[in-house]
Amino acid sequence: MSKTSRTVVSMAKTATRGEVVPIRVIVQHDMESGFRHTERGVRVARDIIREFICTYDGVEVFRAELHPAVGANPTFSFFTVATQTGTLEFKWKGDNGYASSVSSQLTVTG
Amino acid sequence: MSTNRRTFIAAIGTVSLIPWLKTHASESEATEAIQKIVGNKSLQTARVTLDISPLVENGNLVPISVLVDSPMTQADHVKAVHVISEGNPLPSVVSFYFGARAGRAVVSTRIRLLTSQRLWAIAEMNDGSFWQGHANTLVTLAACTEDILI
Repeated sequence: MSKTSRTVVSMAKTATRGEVVPIRVIVQHDMESGFRHTERGVRVARDIIREFICTYDGVEVFRAELHPAVGANPTFSFFTVATQTGTLEFKWKGDNGYASSVSSQLTVTG
Repeated sequence: MSTNRRTFIAAIGTVSLIPWLKTHASESEATEAIQKIVGNKSLQTARVTLDISPLVENGNLVPISVLVDSPMTQADHVKAVHVISEGNPLPSVVSFYFGARAGRAVVSTRIRLLTSQRLWAIAEMNDGSFWQGHANTLVTLAACTEDILI
Protein backbone atom coordinates (compact mmCIF):
# COMPACT_ATOMS: atom_id res chain seq x y z
CA MET A 1 0.00 0.00 0.00
CA SER A 2 1.21 3.48 -0.79
CA LYS A 3 2.60 5.75 1.90
CA THR A 4 -0.12 8.30 1.35
CA SER A 5 -3.70 7.76 0.33
CA ARG A 6 -6.98 9.40 -0.43
CA THR A 7 -8.52 11.53 2.30
CA VAL A 8 -11.88 13.23 2.42
CA VAL A 9 -12.88 15.97 4.87
CA SER A 10 -16.44 17.17 4.96
CA MET A 11 -17.00 20.40 6.81
CA ALA A 12 -18.89 23.67 6.31
CA LYS A 13 -16.87 26.46 4.61
CA THR A 14 -18.47 29.27 6.59
CA ALA A 15 -19.81 29.56 10.12
CA THR A 16 -20.93 32.27 12.52
CA ARG A 17 -18.71 33.03 15.50
CA GLY A 18 -19.28 30.61 18.40
CA GLU A 19 -21.08 28.09 16.24
CA VAL A 20 -20.28 24.40 16.82
CA VAL A 21 -19.13 23.03 13.46
CA PRO A 22 -19.43 19.31 12.71
CA ILE A 23 -16.46 17.73 10.92
CA ARG A 24 -16.28 14.32 9.26
CA VAL A 25 -13.05 12.81 7.97
CA ILE A 26 -12.28 9.55 6.23
CA VAL A 27 -8.97 8.15 5.05
CA GLN A 28 -8.31 5.25 2.71
CA HIS A 29 -6.30 2.59 4.57
CA ASP A 30 -6.51 -1.22 4.94
CA MET A 31 -5.71 -1.12 8.68
CA GLU A 32 -4.08 -4.57 8.61
CA SER A 33 -4.56 -5.67 12.21
CA GLY A 34 -1.56 -7.98 12.60
CA PHE A 35 -3.85 -10.74 13.87
CA ARG A 36 -4.57 -12.38 10.52
CA HIS A 37 -2.72 -15.31 8.98
CA THR A 38 -2.15 -16.54 5.45
CA GLU A 39 -3.28 -20.05 4.50
CA ARG A 40 0.21 -21.27 5.44
CA GLY A 41 -0.18 -19.93 8.94
CA VAL A 42 2.17 -16.99 8.52
CA ARG A 43 1.09 -13.96 10.49
CA VAL A 44 0.48 -10.86 8.37
CA ALA A 45 2.44 -7.93 9.81
CA ARG A 46 0.55 -5.05 11.38
CA ASP A 47 0.14 -2.00 9.19
CA ILE A 48 -2.22 0.55 10.68
CA ILE A 49 -2.68 4.28 11.15
CA ARG A 50 -1.58 5.13 14.69
CA GLU A 51 -2.65 8.72 15.10
CA PHE A 52 -5.01 11.34 13.75
CA ILE A 53 -4.70 15.02 14.71
CA CYS A 54 -6.91 17.99 13.87
CA THR A 55 -5.53 21.47 14.56
CA TYR A 56 -7.32 24.80 14.14
CA ASP A 57 -4.85 27.67 13.56
CA GLY A 58 -2.18 25.51 15.18
CA VAL A 59 -4.24 24.71 18.27
CA GLU A 60 -5.08 21.04 18.78
CA VAL A 61 -8.83 20.52 18.72
CA PHE A 62 -9.15 16.77 18.43
CA ARG A 63 -6.74 13.84 18.42
CA ALA A 64 -7.28 10.10 18.17
CA GLU A 65 -4.96 7.24 19.01
CA LEU A 66 -5.78 4.22 16.86
CA HIS A 67 -5.30 0.56 17.69
CA PRO A 68 -5.79 -2.51 15.43
CA ALA A 69 -9.46 -2.63 16.47
CA VAL A 70 -10.27 0.43 14.35
CA GLY A 71 -11.96 -0.65 11.12
CA ALA A 72 -10.54 -0.29 7.61
CA ASN A 73 -10.74 3.22 6.11
CA PRO A 74 -10.91 4.96 9.49
CA THR A 75 -13.53 7.65 9.78
CA PHE A 76 -14.13 10.10 12.61
CA SER A 77 -16.83 12.60 13.18
CA PHE A 78 -16.31 15.29 15.80
CA PHE A 79 -16.88 19.01 16.42
CA THR A 80 -15.08 22.30 16.82
CA VAL A 81 -16.13 25.81 17.85
CA ALA A 82 -15.78 28.44 15.11
CA THR A 83 -13.63 31.11 16.78
CA GLN A 84 -12.01 32.98 13.90
CA THR A 85 -11.34 32.67 10.18
CA GLY A 86 -8.51 30.23 9.80
CA THR A 87 -7.12 26.95 8.60
CA LEU A 88 -7.94 23.51 9.94
CA GLU A 89 -5.26 20.93 9.39
CA PHE A 90 -5.86 17.20 9.45
CA LYS A 91 -2.91 14.82 9.81
CA TRP A 92 -2.63 11.04 9.87
CA LYS A 93 0.47 9.07 10.90
CA GLY A 94 0.98 5.33 10.83
CA ASP A 95 3.14 2.23 10.53
CA ASN A 96 5.77 1.90 7.79
CA GLY A 97 6.17 5.66 7.48
CA TYR A 98 2.58 6.34 6.55
CA ALA A 99 1.76 10.05 6.60
CA SER A 100 -1.07 12.01 5.09
CA SER A 101 -2.36 15.51 5.59
CA VAL A 102 -5.01 17.81 4.26
CA SER A 103 -6.15 21.29 5.25
CA SER A 104 -9.42 23.13 5.01
CA GLN A 105 -10.33 26.81 5.28
CA LEU A 106 -13.08 28.02 7.59
CA THR A 107 -14.49 31.53 7.19
CA VAL A 108 -16.07 32.90 10.36
CA THR A 109 -18.61 35.72 10.19
CA GLY A 110 -20.30 37.85 12.84
CA MET B 1 -0.45 -20.81 -6.62
CA SER B 2 -0.49 -24.60 -6.26
CA THR B 3 -0.93 -26.19 -2.86
CA ASN B 4 0.82 -29.51 -2.54
CA ARG B 5 0.05 -32.24 -0.03
CA ARG B 6 2.83 -31.21 2.34
CA THR B 7 1.81 -27.54 2.71
CA PHE B 8 -1.80 -28.63 2.99
CA ILE B 9 -1.01 -30.87 5.94
CA ALA B 10 1.11 -28.11 7.50
CA ALA B 11 -1.84 -25.76 7.14
CA ILE B 12 -4.18 -28.26 8.84
CA GLY B 13 -1.68 -28.44 11.69
CA THR B 14 -1.83 -24.67 12.13
CA VAL B 15 -5.60 -24.50 11.94
CA SER B 16 -6.06 -27.25 14.51
CA LEU B 17 -3.83 -25.31 16.92
CA ILE B 18 -6.01 -22.19 16.80
CA PRO B 19 -8.59 -23.23 19.45
CA TRP B 20 -5.76 -23.70 21.97
CA LEU B 21 -4.24 -20.31 21.37
CA LYS B 22 -5.57 -17.42 23.41
CA THR B 23 -7.30 -15.24 20.88
CA HIS B 24 -9.02 -12.54 22.85
CA ALA B 25 -8.63 -10.32 25.86
CA SER B 26 -10.50 -11.30 28.96
CA GLU B 27 -12.56 -9.27 31.36
CA SER B 28 -9.58 -9.04 33.70
CA GLU B 29 -7.33 -7.67 30.94
CA ALA B 30 -9.93 -4.99 30.21
CA THR B 31 -10.10 -4.15 33.93
CA GLU B 32 -6.31 -3.95 33.99
CA ALA B 33 -6.28 -1.58 30.99
CA ILE B 34 -8.88 0.62 32.69
CA GLN B 35 -6.83 0.55 35.91
CA LYS B 36 -3.80 1.75 33.96
CA ILE B 37 -5.73 4.74 32.58
CA VAL B 38 -7.41 5.70 35.85
CA GLY B 39 -4.51 5.04 38.23
CA ASN B 40 -5.49 5.53 41.86
CA LYS B 41 -8.34 7.98 41.13
CA SER B 42 -11.94 6.91 41.64
CA LEU B 43 -14.04 5.92 38.66
CA GLN B 44 -17.69 6.97 38.69
CA THR B 45 -20.45 5.50 36.55
CA ALA B 46 -22.35 8.39 34.92
CA ARG B 47 -22.11 11.10 32.23
CA VAL B 48 -20.70 8.74 29.56
CA THR B 49 -22.95 7.21 26.90
CA LEU B 50 -21.52 4.58 24.60
CA ASP B 51 -23.80 4.04 21.65
CA ILE B 52 -23.49 0.79 19.70
CA SER B 53 -26.02 -1.43 17.96
CA PRO B 54 -27.10 -4.23 20.38
CA LEU B 55 -26.98 -6.77 17.54
CA VAL B 56 -24.12 -6.59 15.06
CA GLU B 57 -24.29 -8.67 11.90
CA ASN B 58 -20.67 -8.18 10.80
CA GLY B 59 -17.91 -7.38 13.28
CA ASN B 60 -15.59 -5.91 10.64
CA LEU B 61 -17.07 -2.43 10.61
CA VAL B 62 -19.21 -1.51 13.57
CA PRO B 63 -20.28 2.12 14.03
CA ILE B 64 -19.92 3.39 17.60
CA SER B 65 -20.34 6.81 19.12
CA VAL B 66 -19.40 8.15 22.51
CA LEU B 67 -21.18 11.06 24.13
CA VAL B 68 -19.94 12.70 27.32
CA ASP B 69 -22.14 15.07 29.27
CA SER B 70 -19.92 18.15 29.55
CA PRO B 71 -20.27 21.90 28.82
CA MET B 72 -16.90 21.80 26.94
CA THR B 73 -15.68 25.18 28.16
CA GLN B 74 -12.10 26.18 29.00
CA ALA B 75 -12.87 25.64 32.69
CA ASP B 76 -14.79 22.38 32.38
CA HIS B 77 -14.17 20.02 29.50
CA VAL B 78 -13.42 16.42 28.61
CA LYS B 79 -9.71 15.74 28.12
CA ALA B 80 -9.84 12.19 26.83
CA VAL B 81 -12.13 9.26 26.09
CA HIS B 82 -10.79 5.70 25.94
CA VAL B 83 -12.75 2.81 24.43
CA ILE B 84 -11.89 -0.57 25.99
CA SER B 85 -12.99 -3.99 24.75
CA GLU B 86 -13.44 -7.19 26.76
CA GLY B 87 -13.46 -9.55 23.80
CA ASN B 88 -10.93 -8.32 21.21
CA PRO B 89 -7.31 -9.53 20.99
CA LEU B 90 -6.24 -6.21 22.55
CA PRO B 91 -8.27 -4.38 25.21
CA SER B 92 -7.48 -0.91 23.77
CA VAL B 93 -9.74 -0.01 20.85
CA VAL B 94 -9.31 3.73 20.32
CA SER B 95 -8.58 6.82 22.41
CA PHE B 96 -9.84 10.32 21.72
CA TYR B 97 -8.31 13.53 23.07
CA PHE B 98 -10.24 16.78 23.07
CA GLY B 99 -9.09 20.37 23.28
CA ALA B 100 -11.18 22.99 25.06
CA ARG B 101 -12.27 24.18 21.60
CA ALA B 102 -13.79 20.85 20.56
CA GLY B 103 -17.25 22.32 21.24
CA ARG B 104 -19.03 19.08 21.97
CA ALA B 105 -17.73 15.87 23.54
CA VAL B 106 -19.32 13.67 20.91
CA VAL B 107 -17.34 11.46 18.58
CA SER B 108 -18.12 8.56 16.28
CA THR B 109 -16.05 6.06 14.36
CA ARG B 110 -16.15 2.45 13.13
CA ILE B 111 -14.44 -0.42 14.93
CA ARG B 112 -13.83 -4.18 14.68
CA LEU B 113 -15.33 -6.70 17.09
CA LEU B 114 -14.08 -10.26 17.40
CA THR B 115 -16.97 -11.57 19.43
CA SER B 116 -20.06 -10.69 21.45
CA GLN B 117 -18.84 -8.61 24.32
CA ARG B 118 -19.05 -5.61 26.61
CA LEU B 119 -17.36 -2.35 25.64
CA TRP B 120 -16.33 0.35 28.08
CA ALA B 121 -15.84 4.07 27.54
CA ILE B 122 -13.73 5.90 30.11
CA ALA B 123 -13.80 9.70 30.11
CA GLU B 124 -11.16 11.86 31.77
CA MET B 125 -12.18 15.42 32.66
CA ASN B 126 -9.82 18.37 32.90
CA ASP B 127 -10.36 18.45 36.70
CA GLY B 128 -8.84 14.94 36.89
CA SER B 129 -12.05 13.00 37.55
CA PHE B 130 -12.89 9.81 35.65
CA TRP B 131 -16.30 8.66 34.45
CA GLN B 132 -17.37 5.46 32.76
CA GLY B 133 -20.14 4.01 30.64
CA HIS B 134 -20.60 0.66 28.96
CA ALA B 135 -22.58 -1.16 26.28
CA ASN B 136 -23.17 -4.81 25.46
CA THR B 137 -23.33 -6.13 21.94
CA LEU B 138 -24.00 -9.44 20.20
CA VAL B 139 -21.84 -10.18 17.16
CA THR B 140 -23.04 -12.82 14.70
CA LEU B 141 -20.10 -12.71 12.28
CA ALA B 142 -16.72 -11.94 13.85
CA ALA B 143 -13.95 -9.76 12.46
CA CYS B 144 -10.56 -11.42 11.83
CA THR B 145 -12.07 -14.72 10.67
CA GLU B 146 -11.21 -14.34 7.00
CA ASP B 147 -7.68 -15.59 7.52
CA ILE B 148 -6.93 -16.95 4.10
CA LEU B 149 -5.36 -14.18 2.07
CA ILE B 150 -2.95 -15.58 -0.47
